[in-house]
Amino acid sequence: MKSREKTLRRSEMQLLEKIKESLDKLNEKMEIIIELQKQEPRNLPEQLPDALDVMTLLSLPDHLRKTAITICKLGRATADEVAEQTKRARAVESAYLNQLVLMGYLKKERVGRKAYFYVEREGEKQ
Amino acid sequence: MKKIIAVHSYKGGTGKTLMSTNLAAIYAMNKYKVALFDMDFRAPSLHAIFKVNSTKYWLNDYLNGICNIKNVIVNCPSKVNDYLYLGLANPSTEAIREMSAKDRKWEMKALGRLLSLRNTLLNDLDFDYLIMDTSPGLQYSSINAIVSADTVIVITTMDISDIQGTQRMVRELYDLFEKKTGIIVNKVPIEMISTLEEREKLRKKYEEISNLPVIDVAPCFCDVLRLGGNTIFSLEKPEHPFTKILKEIATKIQKL
Repeated sequence: MKSREKTLRRSEMQLLEKIKESLDKLNEKMEIIIELQKQEPRNLPEQLPDALDVMTLLSLPDHLRKTAITICKLGRATADEVAEQTKRARAVESAYLNQLVLMGYLKKERVGRKAYFYVEREGEKQ
Repeated sequence: MKKIIAVHSYKGGTGKTLMSTNLAAIYAMNKYKVALFDMDFRAPSLHAIFKVNSTKYWLNDYLNGICNIKNVIVNCPSKVNDYLYLGLANPSTEAIREMSAKDRKWEMKALGRLLSLRNTLLNDLDFDYLIMDTSPGLQYSSINAIVSADTVIVITTMDISDIQGTQRMVRELYDLFEKKTGIIVNKVPIEMISTLEEREKLRKKYEEISNLPVIDVAPCFCDVLRLGGNTIFSLEKPEHPFTKILKEIATKIQKL
């Protein structure tokens, strides 16, 4: 009887973990949508920018500049690695990184379950 | 603690190179391994001060991606040569012209190369300090150096346009990149700060009126001008009162 209870509890825990994981993913997507709504379409550059140079970094809003500089320093990183440096929440960094990708300043590459963000520099290995 | 220091100013002729070379020499005399880089590609000067007339590779080559930073660094021909190393900018007119015509993509790659110096110089080559002497104002090369640095030392004169320009740069440049900043008011007439108390009083006054983090005020000594930039002042005149002030400034910068 007790062992059945244990099994039930374990499966409940697994279910809860799955729900939590799904909620985290949803939260991340919501953050991206909120960030995109904040940025009105007319503010987006007409043509995709070709370089994340210092003058471009200066023109970015404060919250995005911090994320962009961190990627410049790390070279190639996940939202987790950026969050570790900036001391902001992973979901927030994920939203900012995705916004920088949409703005054309960063590139994104998926390797398995992980998403890597980087600045594309022609002729240089990532 | 290991540190990358960019020495910058709003206007030209404020004493950036004098401060950079002496800071580097003082840290090297204290047995810190120092790299001093000439990031003023519009008007290079370290090759002349340290009398290095030719080198196989310049900092220009490193930023152009055609060599490694190890190929650029040269041992300094001075009294502290075991500890002081130089990265020189190419002073030829052709190189200056070429550097001033770079596009945004090149500047982005150059920033990446400068950012990677933290790992190569401070970790792999075990340098304690990298000091970058920059061009005045909002030049690409200077802002790249500022972004790569931990601390920015800004040299200003008492000139009102210089002070106001420095205030703008603090608000609109250093603060945006979240840099530790220290201001030095240089070329103050010696009679205004003939005692330590007067110097501290003037420092506080500048800090209050400008709302800037003024770390010190430094006097204008004719002895500095007499040397004509031919040598490193603190090495040439170790007992001079100006050397004493430079040493105090160097200690304050270490604590920033």
